[in-house]
Amino acid sequence: MTTGGNGGKPDLTPRRRFMSNLMGGRKGKRVSVSNPTSIACVELMDKIGVHFPEAHTDARAMAELAAAGYEVLGFDTIMPEFSVQQEAAALGCEVNWGNDGMMPEVLTHPVKQVSDVVIPENLLEKPSSRVILDAISLLRREYGDRVAILGKVMGPWTICYHTVGVEDFLLMTRLDPDQVRALLDAYIPVTVAFANAQIQAGADAVTLPDHATGNMVSPKDYAEFLVPMHRKMLPQIGGPTILHICGKCLDRIPLIITEGYDSYHFEWQNDPKKAVEAARGEISLLGGISNIEGLLQGTPDDVYQQARYNVEAGVDSIGPECAISLRTPIANLKAIVAAAEEGY
Amino acid sequence: MSDLSRLSQSIDQGDREEAVKLTEEALGAGVNPQDIIASGLQAGMAVVGDKFSNGEYFLPDMLMAARAMKAALEVLKPLLEKTGVPTIAKVVIGTVEGDMHDIGKNVVATFLTGDGFEVLDLGSNVPVNNFIEAVKEKKADILGMSALLTTTMPVMGKVIKALEEAGLRSNVKVVVGGAPMTQDYANHIGADGYAHDGGRAAPMCRQLLGK
Repeated sequence: MTTGGNGGKPDLTPRRRFMSNLMGGRKGKRVSVSNPTSIACVELMDKIGVHFPEAHTDARAMAELAAAGYEVLGFDTIMPEFSVQQEAAALGCEVNWGNDGMMPEVLTHPVKQVSDVVIPENLLEKPSSRVILDAISLLRREYGDRVAILGKVMGPWTICYHTVGVEDFLLMTRLDPDQVRALLDAYIPVTVAFANAQIQAGADAVTLPDHATGNMVSPKDYAEFLVPMHRKMLPQIGGPTILHICGKCLDRIPLIITEGYDSYHFEWQNDPKKAVEAARGEISLLGGISNIEGLLQGTPDDVYQQARYNVEAGVDSIGPECAISLRTPIANLKAIVAAAEEGY
Repeated sequence: MSDLSRLSQSIDQGDREEAVKLTEEALGAGVNPQDIIASGLQAGMAVVGDKFSNGEYFLPDMLMAARAMKAALEVLKPLLEKTGVPTIAKVVIGTVEGDMHDIGKNVVATFLTGDGFEVLDLGSNVPVNNFIEAVKEKKADILGMSALLTTTMPVMGKVIKALEEAGLRSNVKVVVGGAPMTQDYANHIGADGYAHDGGRAAPMCRQLLGK
């Protein structure tokens, strides 16, 4: 532990640094670096000898690859869920768990209407749920005294993309909006149960992706379908919750800040300065670094510049904007940490 | 002509039943199928494309418009097959290998069809060789490729390379798109055209062919 800078404050553990940033608390010596979605990449997998699909299906492999985010990259958080398909698999969709070059894919969409929704009584014991809970418990025991452990649970909107199919579900917003609302309501208990189980297993916070993404969902639809559903759901989740939505979302940040989230994980295509302005201190902001132009195609210096821009904009915790490309170089991920270590 | 502007409006509004009804009425009134396509369907899709590009419309609006247009084209299909309507150009389109995402590609394929292109849609997760074979057999003027994943974007470069190796590259314009794509990346892999969104795909293809 060192002192100096910022009035001689001592440096904090990664866990305290991140949690303070997440909850809009006091700033330490420097900003935290977090990965609320996924930092799995081939270079990291090769380095520690853990690969896909095992890292999606085996708790020990999952925990080892996740911990590399702290051990190898120096991030302040550990996130063991690398896919977005765990709930879909538990709800009866067939999933191809992929390989090192391919993220998992949902292959079947069994739901046409709300009467088709089946929520198994043993939802949390289904293999794709259990693996996450076990990985979080392992990580809590091993790293919980110093690193923030994050969980991840899909929101009802994303679950509908998987169980209904993206195209059919988006068409349904125009053809049968009541059906859409009924489906969202039906899946709230799934999201709540899985989120709370992860918190009980040892997650410090959960990321909740609900992909009402820029071009796919208008701000009007966001206000009509997502806001009431999120407001109903959030009071039932017992720990800090981070919303993740990809794409251009500046237009809906004013809505997001009313929903009850602690934080919003956002993309670089929303100017971080404007995002901070729109969040008005009502929620913290995480992420902000471009996965494509920065982390995948850029140089460490490009990433460093983006990271500094985010710090200067007032983003609370910096990191990749979304699950990183599997071909992302480790050197670019470490450049985020280097930029954070510069201090505020 | 006023009925065709109503048809164009029904496409813009994604009203499938109205689009089918107005197409049938126009045919019944003796309007040439080509005029129905040009002044009704294409005009409607052009408006939808512009509205999507300028942020007024979102993906559900595009999907509704595409659905309406497809239904109207079904009505015209038997006549078009009989009369052999000339097309602007032949397009082979697909989502590259390893990538199952097909919504964006489907929307583009529908736009191109509605704009008068003859489209062969190879689907999603298309192996490199299938693109090459289809371009050769179809004597395609344009090859369109889509990828929604950063991991599958490089496959587009492989297809372009395979076109070169097969001696077909100079015969076909290659256009690419997909959420993670950028103009820089399109240039990097040697594509001829890139559209940021589906609404801009058809005008870009016309421009490439000078039509």
